[in-house]
This record gives sequence, C-alpha cells and structure tokens, in this order.
Amino acid sequence: MNQPIRMVGISKRFGSVQALQGVDLKVEPGTLHALVGENGAGKSTLMKVLYGQLQPDEGTLEIEGTLRRFAHSRDAIAAQIGMVSQHYSIIPELTCLENLMLGAEPGAWLEPRSATERASTLADRMGFRFDWNEPASKLSTAAAQKLEILKLLWRESRLMILDEPTAMLSPADSDALYASLHRLAAEGATVIVVTHRLPEVMDHCRDVTVLRGGKRVSSFPVAETDPRQLSEAIIGRSMIETQVEVRVGREPMLVMRDLRIQGDRGQEAVKGATGELRVGEVVGLAGVDGSGQHELFQAITGHAKILGGTLDFLGQSILVASPRQILEMGVRLIPEDRHAEGVVEDWTLEENSSLGLHRLAPFAQGSRVNIRARSEETQKMIDRFQTKCRDRYSLMRSLSGGNQQRFVAARALAHQPKLVLAFQPTRGLDIEGTRQVYAALRDQAQAGSSVLVVSFDLDELLIHCDRILVMEHGRLLEPPADLARDRQAIGALMVGAA
Amino acid sequence: MIFLILGCFALVVVLLQIIGVAPGEAVQAMVRGSLGTARGWSGTLREMTPLLFAGLAVYVGLRAGLFNIGAEGQFVVGACASAVVAIHVPGVLGWILSGIAGLIAGALWAFPAGWIKAYRGGHEVVSTIMLNFMALQLTSYLVLGPIRDPSKDDATTPDVLSPMRPLLETQFDGSSFRLHAAWLIGILLILGFGWWLKKTVQGYELNATGANPKAAQMAGVPVPKVTLLAMCASGAFAGLGGAFHVLAYEQRFYNDFSPGYGYNALGVALLAGGSPWALIPAALIFGILGQSASSLQIMEVPKGMTSILLGLLIIGFAVFRYRNREVNRG
Repeated sequence: MNQPIRMVGISKRFGSVQALQGVDLKVEPGTLHALVGENGAGKSTLMKVLYGQLQPDEGTLEIEGTLRRFAHSRDAIAAQIGMVSQHYSIIPELTCLENLMLGAEPGAWLEPRSATERASTLADRMGFRFDWNEPASKLSTAAAQKLEILKLLWRESRLMILDEPTAMLSPADSDALYASLHRLAAEGATVIVVTHRLPEVMDHCRDVTVLRGGKRVSSFPVAETDPRQLSEAIIGRSMIETQVEVRVGREPMLVMRDLRIQGDRGQEAVKGATGELRVGEVVGLAGVDGSGQHELFQAITGHAKILGGTLDFLGQSILVASPRQILEMGVRLIPEDRHAEGVVEDWTLEENSSLGLHRLAPFAQGSRVNIRARSEETQKMIDRFQTKCRDRYSLMRSLSGGNQQRFVAARALAHQPKLVLAFQPTRGLDIEGTRQVYAALRDQAQAGSSVLVVSFDLDELLIHCDRILVMEHGRLLEPPADLARDRQAIGALMVGAA
Repeated sequence: MIFLILGCFALVVVLLQIIGVAPGEAVQAMVRGSLGTARGWSGTLREMTPLLFAGLAVYVGLRAGLFNIGAEGQFVVGACASAVVAIHVPGVLGWILSGIAGLIAGALWAFPAGWIKAYRGGHEVVSTIMLNFMALQLTSYLVLGPIRDPSKDDATTPDVLSPMRPLLETQFDGSSFRLHAAWLIGILLILGFGWWLKKTVQGYELNATGANPKAAQMAGVPVPKVTLLAMCASGAFAGLGGAFHVLAYEQRFYNDFSPGYGYNALGVALLAGGSPWALIPAALIFGILGQSASSLQIMEVPKGMTSILLGLLIIGFAVFRYRNREVNRG
C-alpha cells in the first residue's frame, strides 16, 4: 500500500444506539496506528466497518486512492485487509498448518509439502518458529497470537487490524509482538492496533486516534503527545494513575506450605508453592501466562487435585474441602474465562446474580430461592460498577464484554467475602472501569478481606497492589524486600532470569 | 404458533390430495374423531396422559443438559414392572406399590446412561438408544415367557387385580366421557416440577448444570451428581408414566406395549421449548393427532400420515424457535 487509508464521516446506528457518528480515520501506509478509547467508544465497530463485517449507514472508505464499499469481509480480504479479533480464532483440534490455511487453502487438493514450505518461509520472515504438524491446542497464548498474524500474511494482507493484541500476553511477549509488527511495517505493511494500554501506544505507534462516545476526539502523531494528554482525551478529563499507598497485611488469611498441584494434563503445574495472604492486603500475582496461576486458583477454590503440601484458610485445612464448602467459607472468584466459567449467557442478569452465592443468604431461604432478595441484590450489583444494561432482566449475552466483567466483579465482591481471587479482573475494562474495580478490591481488603489478583500487566499490578508475588514455571516467588516494587527485578523473576 | 399449526395442516392437505383423499373430509374426520365427541375427547386425553409423563421426563433431562432418548425404554420397563406388581397385589396398596415399581424401574433403566455421562463423559444419546433396545427385548422376553398369561392367545400378562376406575365418567350426547386420575396427576406433576425448578435452590442448580456446566462447577454445584440424579429423575417420570398407563388404561402389559410414546415425548418436550407449562398444550396437540390417527384409518388414510404431520410440526417449530440464535450474537 502506498497511499493512506481514509475513512471519512463514518456513521453507524444499532437500534437506538448511535455507535459511530461521522468518524474520520486516516492511516499512513507503512506505520503502526493506535486506535484508543474506552469500552463502547466505537473502536471495534469502526474496525468492523473497515473489515467489511458491518456496513456503515453513512461515510466513505478510500483504499489505494479508490473509493470502496465492502459488502462482506470476503471483499475486505480480497482488498488485502486482515483482522485478528480479541478472541483468537485458532481451532485447537486442527494442526498449526491447517489453522494457517483455514479459509484460504491454496487449492482443492492440499499439498502439505508446498504449503509447509510457504508457511515456513513466512514464519522465517517474521522470526517465528512453528512445528506445523503439531495440534494448535499445544500453542501458548503468545504463540497463538503469532499464528494469527501469520494467517494474515498467508492471505497476503497489507493492512492488518489487531484488536487488543496484548490483552493476554506477558510484557516480554508483548514486546516481541511489537518487534514483529515493526518488522512488518518496515516491509510496507500498515498496522492498526486497537488497545487500552497507553504505554504500548507511546512506545510503539507512530500515530494515535482517540474515539469517545462514537466520535473522533482527536488524532495526532504520538511524538506530539504524552500519556496525560492521551488519557484526558480518552476519558474526557485528566486522570493519571498514581501508585496506591501501600498497606501492610495483618494476620494471615491463607497459608500454603510446599503446595504441589496437578494440572489439567496430569503434569505438576505448581511445584511446592509456599507463601501467605494476609488480612487487609491486595496481593498481585505476576507472571507469564501458564506459569501455574490458573492451577493455584483452581486449588484454592477446590477444583484441582493437590499432590502434596498444606493449604490452610483461616487456620483450617481446605485440602479436602469441596468447592461448595470453600465458597461457604467466604472464598470468591472472578474467573479467568468469563464466558465459560463465570456466567450463563442465556440467563438474565438476575439469574446470574446468584451463581455461586445461590446457597447463601439472602439468595437462599432454606432450600427456597428468595426471589425478592435476589432482585434487590442484582440491582446493587448492576449499580456498583455502573453495568450498562436495559434492566436486571436483560440477558447476559446482550451485554458487552466489559459490562459482563463489571457485573461478575460486583458479584464476587457482594456480601463481605473473606478472600477474593481475581483472575484478570479488569480484562476488557477501560481506564475508568479498571480504576473502579481496583478501588473496590482495595476497599474490600481494607474492610478485612484479603485479595489475590492475577494480571499479565505488571504495571497494573505495581500501581494497584500492596505486594507482588511472582509465579514462574510452577514456582511461587517473592522479590526480595528491597526490590519488592522494582519493575526490572520482578520482570527478571517472571522469566526465570533471576 | 397458530400460524405454524395452520401451515403444517396446509402441507398435510397437499399430501392428502396426493394420496387421493378429499382433504376437507379427512380434516373433518380428524377433528370429529379427536375433539368432536365426548368419546373422542376421552381418547385424546388418554393419548395425552403417557405424553405428559414422558414429555416431563425428557424435559427434566433437557434442563440438565441431557438428551434422554431413552424415555421409550424407561416407559416400557416401568410399565412392565408395575404390571408385575399389580397382577399380584390388589387394592390401593397395589396401586402404590405398582407406581413405586414403575418409578424405580424407570430410574434404574436411566441410571447407567446417567452414570456414564456424569463420570465417564460418554454421550447419553448413544447409551439411552442402546438401553431402549435392551428394554424392548427384555420386556418382550418376559411377556413371551415368565410373566405371560398362558390362558390367552396373545403375548400378554394377566389383567391387574384392581384397575383404576375413571375419576369422572358421564354420558354426553350418547357417547361417554372418561377422565382418569392419571391425566390429572400428570398435569399436577408438570406444574409442581415447574414450581420446583423456579423456586428452589436445587432447581436452580439443575438449570445451571444444563445451561453452563463449567460455570455451575465453578459456582460450587456438584455437576456430576446433579447430572446423574437428573437422569434418574427423568427415567423415574417416564417409568411412572408407564405404570399409570398400565393401571388406568391398559390394565395389563403386553408385547409391543408402547406405540412410541417415549419418542413422541421428545417432540412434546422440544415443542414446549424452555417452559415446563408448555408441556401441557404440547402433549395435547400430540394427543389430538394420536387419537385422530384411528379416525383417519377408517378413511383409508395411512396411519403414518399423522406422524408426518407431527414431524412437520416439530421441524417448523425448530425453524421458528432457533431462527434468531445467530442474529443475536455480536
């Protein structure tokens, strides 16, 4: 591509919601362009218009100097536009090669040899390595993301749209990802990155466009702005995040000694974790995805097989307690995979409000469901983080991801939990939502609970947590006291370099 | 819904035309045979009764995420077990024991499928189909041998000692109307189950298990246990339906006892969709069609015709019910 991509005056309405209103976007060829904004600002809608998944009510799209109209994403793909959505489209049952080719097979007959050759050439160009015949289920999140990018190259995309590409990546993997994006840009590809993370914008992108409430607020070269100005543009007022005042925990809430946990594939996923969570503190659990955080949470909530060691909650062993007993003791979870583990999408918000709390007062009255109490509690949960929904009878699936997350977080914090385990509690949330959720977690800790947060965003943990623990390859590590908040030192622990 | 039913009738009219029967007369005969007379109504309610129980059975399974194809087998096994008790024990005690026998037999027949699903992950559709074959062969063997009444020509058990008399029996325009307690019990069971599902913690857990087993697990619901119990409860309802069919209507058990009530129950439950109350009108529709089949036969319309109508009804309903699924996404 040699000419800029221009979207002019794009408007799109869904029912009574004006998702986009006269938005302009100009992306220079061969650059990384960031598209930022809060949840519901219209970023995804705008990108879907560009990718042909949605047709705008008004506005024009100009590619390579000619006006285009895409009736379908097939047309966009033919025009060498590719998109990687937030939820990866890798099919775990297929091999890496099959995933790569899916939908863009070279012909009716598959010739594995020539396909593998071409795939390897593409991967070499990017500095990636894949075992093409391995099932994609074996891929780590970072590798899956890389495969998604290769899929775009396979389709010869020249404009790549990436929606929240680093949401699930560790800092090191994010840096590697941007390195490869820079390489692509140097070869002439154009990249649009939809993101929440301002440091990424500052470090890696050339231009940035800010959307707010379906309108374009501003667009400028990154070199001419700073995080403060950007966040002001995003949320409409200045709010720069500052480090919280660190609190010191009181008596221990959860104590583990040499805890060994079995993973889903029978491996020893956590190898002798020793540590404690104390009343009144918010502890951040940093680490690369897949280092054992998932299994640790599973073990504390009673879902994983424990191979050895001790696990005491409030002085009582919960090694053999059932998930229900542990819930009744006051352990709450904001689960990793909201869709699969946290909500029933076909249920109303009200029905979802008692999931996990359904045997506890006030949701249950003996063996009966207390429907009136449930309605009241649902309203409180909606109000707590301003979940946007029609009313409490809306179906969960009608909510956007960010709003679902608000609701799930509010549910985990209802009724004085003792221990809150939060797996990426701000996944998909915007700046204001993130601030609110952490503020609520901190209030809960202040009120006598203990909070453990997993996040792959180390900066987020450093800002909001009282103490940082690190999981690395199944080990639980604590940085030395003098380096307890040292970004470099913690980063080194995360990758096993310390 | 009304539109849908009319649409299906229209298709059947076309089919009748092809067979060479005047559609007007056929439809008239159908309506007269099932709803036109007190006798017709009695037959319709009679056809409806096993569908209430078996429909509820399938519905219970669906709520827990189980597709219980085995209602047919559970129904037949329940009927056979209850007949064995009722031909030996007279009176009210006989009814109670016979009902319990049907209930337990149905639950036991569902148990292997439930256990395999809950603890081994084997699909219940496969296991319940296999259990159906076994149920039919087993009961067939029993009624051809050990429990056969040797004094009769057909393969049948002796009559039960005390059959259930109709709750209500009146003459109406020269034909008699009969309403059995079994029908009423079926209705009450459905209403009771609907209430239980909505208002109790266990009902909530059952629903959660069916709607999203992983989320239910995370919410502290013992999913395998709930799955197993739901399958057994499903079988128990079907078995109880078999027991009432013996006690109230047939008064004995014989070879080829069920004309496919357990299979039609799948249609009843699917037609009812998400709501338990809707099982009642769904069973009524199937009851009407079942009853009118015999009136049509008099006109030399093949019995399969009503099955075709039922099939069309379910396909049409599925089209309506699931049409918005994909549209709602995103």
